[in-house]
Amino acid sequence: MPAGLMASAPAAGSTLIPPEADLARMRHQRVERIRDAMHAQGLDALVLLGNTNVVYATGVVWPLADSGRAAFEQPVAVVLADDAWPHLFSSMSVADPERSDLPPDHLHGPVFLDFDQGVARFTAHLAELVPAGAAVGIDEWTNALRRDRSLLFGAGDPADGGRVISRAKLVKTPDELACMREGLRITESAIAEVQTGVAPGVRQTELTATFLRCIFEAGADANVLDPIWQVMPPRLADGPWTTTGDLACPLLSTERVLVEGDVLWVDTGISAGGFHSDFGRTWIVGRGPDARQRAQFERWQAIMAAVLDVTRAGSTAADLTAAAVDAAGGVKPWMPHFYLGHGLGIDSAEMPYVGSDIGEAFDAGLVLTEGMVLVLEPVVWDDGAAGYRSEEVLVVTDDGWEPMTDYPYDPF
Amino acid sequence: MPRTEVQPDERSLRRARRERVLAAMAAEGVDVLVMGREANARYVSGAPRLWTAGSRAFGPGCVLVRESGAVHLLSTWDEGVPEEIPHENLYGISFNAANFLDALQRVEGAASVRTVATDGLTPSAAQLLARSFPSADLVDGEPLLRRVRAVKTPEEVEAVRASVRLAEHALSEAVAALGPGVTARRLTGVFLEAMAAAGVTTPASQDVAWVPSRVHPGRRGGRDEPLESGDLVAFGAGVIASGYAGEVGRTKRIGEGEADEAERALRRDQDALWGRLLGACRPGATATGLLDAYDAVGLAPPPVPVARGLGLGFDLPLVTHALPELAAEQRLEEGMVLALTAFVWKEGRGAVYGQEPVLVTPSGPELLSTDPFQEARSQA
Repeated sequence: MPAGLMASAPAAGSTLIPPEADLARMRHQRVERIRDAMHAQGLDALVLLGNTNVVYATGVVWPLADSGRAAFEQPVAVVLADDAWPHLFSSMSVADPERSDLPPDHLHGPVFLDFDQGVARFTAHLAELVPAGAAVGIDEWTNALRRDRSLLFGAGDPADGGRVISRAKLVKTPDELACMREGLRITESAIAEVQTGVAPGVRQTELTATFLRCIFEAGADANVLDPIWQVMPPRLADGPWTTTGDLACPLLSTERVLVEGDVLWVDTGISAGGFHSDFGRTWIVGRGPDARQRAQFERWQAIMAAVLDVTRAGSTAADLTAAAVDAAGGVKPWMPHFYLGHGLGIDSAEMPYVGSDIGEAFDAGLVLTEGMVLVLEPVVWDDGAAGYRSEEVLVVTDDGWEPMTDYPYDPF
Repeated sequence: MPRTEVQPDERSLRRARRERVLAAMAAEGVDVLVMGREANARYVSGAPRLWTAGSRAFGPGCVLVRESGAVHLLSTWDEGVPEEIPHENLYGISFNAANFLDALQRVEGAASVRTVATDGLTPSAAQLLARSFPSADLVDGEPLLRRVRAVKTPEEVEAVRASVRLAEHALSEAVAALGPGVTARRLTGVFLEAMAAAGVTTPASQDVAWVPSRVHPGRRGGRDEPLESGDLVAFGAGVIASGYAGEVGRTKRIGEGEADEAERALRRDQDALWGRLLGACRPGATATGLLDAYDAVGLAPPPVPVARGLGLGFDLPLVTHALPELAAEQRLEEGMVLALTAFVWKEGRGAVYGQEPVLVTPSGPELLSTDPFQEARSQA
């Protein structure tokens, strides 16, 4: 059984990833980055509603809820250009003053921005923090917010505040990398227990049950994706119709019973310390790979090796896609509705996207820099015998890359 | 029966829901409704899609056209998509706004419709919709959707009831794991494991178990602190099954011993509060009665909303002491389902937290959970 990504890592040298994160420093550096981006965009204040954007700006972490339930008491963050501390509007179950390092006068009650009455409360607070006529950016808005003309929408739609966060979070600090590696370890420890239970007769949902218990026991804050244990059809034509004519993936898990020989494409992720993890492997139920399946895996390894060979600061996303296409014999070895690779951080998929449908010009202009985290997920499809897909997480360095995961490829 | 295939919601359920939304669009002169919130998209389309945790920024996830009743849906594949949504109305996952522009411009009448409603916006989506529907005003679609969704059809009530049953089942497994030394983290894991083992892998909340603080009503102990005999632990047990939320809240005591006098007093107050809360659940009453219930039994306002709608996603009413003006504007109606909260806290002992799903009917509130109060008495 080949070992995981560590085995193919470049010779061990200096590491970007410290053994432990300094959380206070991490939060401080993030707010600095946000404020730098605000200055560049000419913003005096930034209002954030998106759960993960609030996590990024405040360092406050809570167990994320179902997306519908999350709207009931959505925490809101406000970052000011001249204040090192962000303001947070939330319930105390989200921001316990004893467990948050935000100053007490920066913690406020929840504001319920889905309602005009909640918006009125919020804008009254905001007026105390931000002078009239200030330039305010916002990441998203409710219709109730849009009706309010006092601060945010006085002169048309406000500036795009989401871009500030996208820019700030693109390159990870060493403390962030340490946090992310911990989340990836939690995920992999849970997956290891799940994998021992994969056998004919087991239902997909039973794998999820084990996964959910194990991630919490290992230290997760939340699950972030209904885990995928997709049974791949041998032929593309046996799967569902798609808009692309290519594979349908990820398909939802059900109480389907696994049978010997099923090829499972696994895809999961959790939230820990405010970061999302990602995990992907191909498993075979109840037996090892046959010669054809082993050949698929070897092709996948060759593609991954070719991509890793050109992965370093200064390379473009197009360098990575070109290496993948070349190693795959001239075809794109990834699903057209996704990408060859994507960033990972406070969101499950974020910039930089590599090989997405944003297009080749975008890829050619996207230059990798040290500290970017990439999830590479090439796919080998072998019509008639399904295929192989795995994901690897790494951080880009000036010399190349450093692995952030080390899960084995068993049973391959 | 085990659910081994991804299926759309029942035809009668999705048809009833969609017709109600179309009627509301006609009444308000909305030509096209563009939905980003997953629960709204599910309500209209009847298609289950991948569950993810946390709020989502607005994107055009589902489009409903009033004139034709056609649904356009963000889905790269047709698995789980109802038969009345044809392949040409599906548009795939994309990272390129141009592709969404293309999909929206294919919506019938896109160039000429006058009124397009949305359930949220982002700066980039605002630009996208302005280009997709160049003749239209962008208006607020949330009041329309909230009003329609707040009152449940009988079939929807059964769906909530089924979700509640599942939440109670998983909760019973977590309660069975109570004992000295257990942590809130462990109880959360046991609950979610039991939920998924019963066939449903999507929680409403992952804030499942916590230890109410003895010094502050809104605060909690850490997830990793081992519990001792006599400690109170609160459960917020919620699942999403077939799209519908089923939630109950209960408070249990660690260990075999009897309740002390302070806990008995908390539970007596909670009983009195339940009486007042349930008494305020009358069709036609304003939601203010629910806020007043706390004052009537001499209790401080709770640190959480007193009531939320229970159904698909963000649901009316929302009744919180933080927004009394909102409560006064909201009237309870027959067919609403509420997650009703009875929270009692005393310094030194902590809190008992209870939440029950309640259907508002002409003859009074109907509990959708299985006799919670017997359980409360057995603890007292």
